[in-house]
Amino acid sequence: MLEKSLFLLCFSSALAKQLCAPDASDGYKVRLSIRTALGDQAYAWNEDELFLFRATLAFAMRNRISGQQFEVSNIIVCDETPRVSFWFVVTSPSNTSHLVDKEEVEEAIRKSRNRINSAFLLTDKTLEFLGIPPTLAAPVSPDTPPWLIVFGVVMGAVGAGIVVMLAFSVVQKKRKKDGKVVDEAVEEETRAKTTDNGAAGDGVYNMSFSDDERFTEM
Amino acid sequence: MEKDARPSWDSPVEFLLACVSYAIGLGNVWRFPYLCQMHGGGGFLIPYLIMLFLEGLPLFCLELAIGQKMRLGSIGAWTAINPYLGGVGLASVMTSLYLCLYYNIINAWSFWYLFNSFQSVLPWAECPINSNRTGPIEECELATPTQYFFYRETLDISSSIEENGGVQTGQALCLLLAWVISYLFVVRGVKSTGKVVYFTATFPYVVLLIYLIWGFTLHGAINGVKYMFTPKMEQLANPTTWVNAATQIFFSLGLGFGSLIAFSSYNQYNNNFERQAVAVSIINSGTSIFASIVTFSIYGFKATINYESCLERTRILLLNTFDLAEDKITMDTVFEWIERLNATYPQQFAEISSKLETCDLEKELDTAVEGPGLAFIVYSEAIKDMPLPQLWSVLYFSMLLLLGMGSMLGNITAIITPLRDFKFLSSMSIELLNGIVCLFCLLLGLGFTTTSGSYWFTMFNDYGATFSLLFVVLVEVITVSYIYGSKRFEKDVEDMLGHRPNWYWRIMWKFISPLLLITVFVFYIVNYIRGGTPTYQAWNKELGQSVVTEYPVFGQVFIGLLLVSSISCIPLTALYVYCTRTKRGNRRRQLTVSTVSAEGLAP
Repeated sequence: MLEKSLFLLCFSSALAKQLCAPDASDGYKVRLSIRTALGDQAYAWNEDELFLFRATLAFAMRNRISGQQFEVSNIIVCDETPRVSFWFVVTSPSNTSHLVDKEEVEEAIRKSRNRINSAFLLTDKTLEFLGIPPTLAAPVSPDTPPWLIVFGVVMGAVGAGIVVMLAFSVVQKKRKKDGKVVDEAVEEETRAKTTDNGAAGDGVYNMSFSDDERFTEM
Repeated sequence: MEKDARPSWDSPVEFLLACVSYAIGLGNVWRFPYLCQMHGGGGFLIPYLIMLFLEGLPLFCLELAIGQKMRLGSIGAWTAINPYLGGVGLASVMTSLYLCLYYNIINAWSFWYLFNSFQSVLPWAECPINSNRTGPIEECELATPTQYFFYRETLDISSSIEENGGVQTGQALCLLLAWVISYLFVVRGVKSTGKVVYFTATFPYVVLLIYLIWGFTLHGAINGVKYMFTPKMEQLANPTTWVNAATQIFFSLGLGFGSLIAFSSYNQYNNNFERQAVAVSIINSGTSIFASIVTFSIYGFKATINYESCLERTRILLLNTFDLAEDKITMDTVFEWIERLNATYPQQFAEISSKLETCDLEKELDTAVEGPGLAFIVYSEAIKDMPLPQLWSVLYFSMLLLLGMGSMLGNITAIITPLRDFKFLSSMSIELLNGIVCLFCLLLGLGFTTTSGSYWFTMFNDYGATFSLLFVVLVEVITVSYIYGSKRFEKDVEDMLGHRPNWYWRIMWKFISPLLLITVFVFYIVNYIRGGTPTYQAWNKELGQSVVTEYPVFGQVFIGLLLVSSISCIPLTALYVYCTRTKRGNRRRQLTVSTVSAEGLAP
C-alpha cells in the first residue's frame, strides 16, 4: 500500500516534470523584477510567494473558464532561476495529464492581469509573461485638445489688446484734431496781437531785426 | 513749422534695449554652443573675441552712425550717402523681408510647444499607442518620442521637399498668433516698440539665470560644462574655426539687415552711439557665452541620463539572458560583467551581441546639434526628464518666444522704416501700413506651414540671408570708407558725438574690417562651389531618422533666385539711377537751351 502511494507520487511528479519544461508548447515563461519595482521594500522570493503565484493563476483560470474548478495543483512550475523567472503550464482539472491550450491560458491571464499584478505589487513591466504583450491603457483624448484652449485664451487677450490700442489711437487722433482747431484760433489771435503792438511776443520772429549788418554797414 | 516730426525713442535706454533685444536672438542659444562644441570648447572663445574686436564692433558702430546721421531708413540713408548705391538699402530690405517671412515660423513652433506644455504628461515624453493597443507607433519606436512629436505631430513632415500637402491647422493658428503679437508690438512704431523692449530684452536673462542655477543642480550637468571648457587648442590651427567665428559674430549682431540703421534713425542727433555700440556688442557676446554654459549643463544632464539608461538596458539584457539575480549586476559593474560573461558563455553571448549597445558618455556628449533641432528636440528631451517638467517647459519656450519676438521687432522695423520714408506712403497711417506688411508676410508665411514647409524653411534659413548679407555689408563698409570718404564720415561722427573717432575705429573701418569681410566672402564662395549640390535633411518615416537628400532642380533654381534677387538690387539700382540721371541731364540741357533762346528773343 505504502509503496503503491509512493510510486504514484513519484510517477505524478515525474509526469508533472515532463509536462512542464522550458520551451514547452503550452507553457509560458514568467519573469519578475521585484527589486526593480520595489527597491528597498522588495520582498524575498520563496516557496510561499510561488504558492501565491500558483493560487493567483488558478484564480485567473477559474475566472476565465467558468465551471471548471482549477486548483493550485493544476499549475505546475519548473526551471526556476535566481533571476526569479520560471516556466509554468496549466493542467486541466478533469484530466491532470492533459494541458490547457496556450490560447486559453493567454486569455485568462489577459483578463485578470491587473489582479495578478496587484497581488504581487508589480506592474505590467515588472511582472512579465513572455509572449503575452500587455494591453496598453487606452489613450485619454479629450474633446478639445488642451493646446487649443490655451491658444484661445492667449489669442483672445491679444485681440482685445489690439482693439483697445486701435480705439485709443482713434480717440487720440480725434482729440488732437479738436485741439488743433482750438490751437489755430489761439495762434491767429496772438498773431493779430503782435502785428498791432509791434513789440515782439515770444513766438513770432520779427523780420525787421534780422539783417542788422546791412543797415549798420551803411 | 514741422508737421510730421520724426518719432523718436523716449529715452536712450529704450534704444539700447531695442538693440540688445534685436541682437540677442535664437542664434545665441542654438548656434554659438554648437560652434563652441565643434571648434574645441573653451578654445573657440579666442577667435570669437578677436573677431568681435576686429569686425563686429566696428561694423556695428558704423551702421548706428549712418542711421543716426541720415535719420532715414536704409534705402533713404544709402541714397543720401551716394545716389548710385541706394540699392544697398534695397538689398537690406529684401533680405529683411525674406527673414520676416520665415523667422516667425520659429515663433509659431515655440507657441505650439508652449501651449502643449500645459498637460499632465508632456506629449513628447511618451510614444502614443498604436491602434491595436499593443505597443507604441512604429515610427515613434524607431525614432525617439521627442523626434516623433516634432516631425509628425508638430510638422506632419513629408518625406521630401517635392511632396506637398495641406496647411497644418495647428501651425497656421500659431503663426497667426505670432503675427498678431508682432503687429501689436510694432503698431505704433517706436512708441510701442520702445515699451515692449523693456520686457523682451530683460526676461530672457531671468530665465537663463534660473536655468543656470537649476542646470547646475541637475545630475551629470558638470560633465557637460567640463567637456565644453576643456579647450582643444589644435582647432585653432584650422582656418574654418576662424571663418566660423567671423560669420557668427557677423550674423549674431544682425548687421546688414537695415534694422540697426532703422533703430538709430529714431535717435536724437547727439546720442552717444559709440558707447552704446560697445555695450551692445559686449552684451551680445556675453549672452552667447552665458547661454552656452546653460546649454552645456543641459547637454551634460541629457548625455548622462542617456548613458545611464543605456547602461540600465544593457544590465537588464544581461540579467534576462543569463538569468542572474537582480542585484548581482549593478550599473557600475556592467562592463566587467560583460567581459566575464563573454569569457564564460561565449556562445550565448554571441546570440545577444547584436542587441548589445555600446554605452559611451563621450559619444553622447559629442553629438553636436544646432538650429531648430537643438532648440526643439534636444532641449525638450532634456526637459521631459526633469522633475516638474511642465514648469521648465513653459519657462524655456517663453524664453525662446521672447528672443524670437525681440528679433522680429528689428526685422519688421527694418522694412517699415524705409517704406515710411517714401512720400506716397508717409501719408498713410502707421497702423495701416504696419497692418498691411504684417498681413502680407502672414499670407506668404503660410506656405511654411504645409507638410513640406519645414524644408523650405531650412532653405531660406541657409541661403536667404547669409551670402547676400556678407555682400551687402562689404559694399557698405567700402562705400563709407572709400566712396563717401572716411574723412567726411569722421567729420560727421565728430559732429554728432563732439569728438573725432579714435585710431581704433579709423583703422578698423578703413582697412581691417573690409579685409576680413573679403576673406570671409571668398571663403564662402569657395566652400559653396566645393560643396557640390546643396543638400538638406529629409525625414524618413520608415527609418525614423533624417536622411541627407539633394535639392531637386527647382529647389536649386529657387536658391539661386534667393541669392540673386537681393544681391542684384545693388547693380540694378545703380544702373537705374545712372539712366534716369542721364535722361534728366539731357532734359535739363534742352530746357536751358530753350530758355536761353527765349530770353535772347525777348526785347
